[in-house]
Amino acid sequence: MRAMRALTWIVVMMWVGSVVTGGQAAYDSDIASKLIALERVSKMQAWQNKDLQTLNTMFDDAFVYVNPDGRELGKPELIAYIQSFGTLQFVAEAMTVQLHGETAIVTGLYRMKGTQRGKAFVRRGRFVDTWLYKNGRWVAIASLLAPDAN
Amino acid sequence: MRIVARGFILLCAMSLSAMGQQLAEVGTAAGIRALEDAWTVGQSRNDSHALDLIFDNALVYVEYGKLVTKGEYLSRVRRELPQLDQIVMGPMTVRTFSGTAIVVGTYSEKRGRDKSAELKRWRFIDTWVYKKGGWVLVAASAAPCERNP
Repeated sequence: MRAMRALTWIVVMMWVGSVVTGGQAAYDSDIASKLIALERVSKMQAWQNKDLQTLNTMFDDAFVYVNPDGRELGKPELIAYIQSFGTLQFVAEAMTVQLHGETAIVTGLYRMKGTQRGKAFVRRGRFVDTWLYKNGRWVAIASLLAPDAN
Repeated sequence: MRIVARGFILLCAMSLSAMGQQLAEVGTAAGIRALEDAWTVGQSRNDSHALDLIFDNALVYVEYGKLVTKGEYLSRVRRELPQLDQIVMGPMTVRTFSGTAIVVGTYSEKRGRDKSAELKRWRFIDTWVYKKGGWVLVAASAAPCERNP
């Protein structure tokens, strides 16, 4: 009888465990989808359309950015840099998200095409962005665009 | 008089708390810098065991524009010969956000040997997260500085 109770207890605990794990996985998946959506809004819409209000909301005040030339820019410098583009197409794809509590790392491939100071340019490579859950929302705290290895 | 005294005590408590916070941040920044140094030393000496402790298992590492897993990085370190003078760290700044730290800095990398060695400067961003009582590296990436020395 005792063995039966113990077995029932173990089965119940395993079921609870799987429900909790499944719930956590679904929660993580929701966050990952949200962050990928934020990346799309940031890179594919706000950068392209020079939507400074959206960028200002998405970047933390201590945000730091390193461009493919290895130049470091803070939030105001990056916003000025984005304004310096004549035209810009920014495509981000193959994105993956790694969650570490209230910190998330998003990496993917990027392709930038446009004009800056009258000169046409094309750049591609891999980006790594760090997001932080702060005051009830996700904000970007760091971003680096590495040029393509080739 | 009592109100003034209470106000004074409250002010002292607030400034002490702010000082404590600043000291904690200074301590965290120093700890992160020490870990960055440990990483450089570990890589130079091909100490994959030390690197294993520093890196999170889900590390996102972008090396020369390519995504490399922790396992791939450590196995490369194990294969290579020790290169004691190949990486020289430049200045770095540490920004802390409670359980997350962002390090931005530069390093110079010597590729090749003797006279034919090429010196290249990189700017990096590393992300550290406080997990299970210690800081681990969760992301690292670098872009080559256009004006190389």
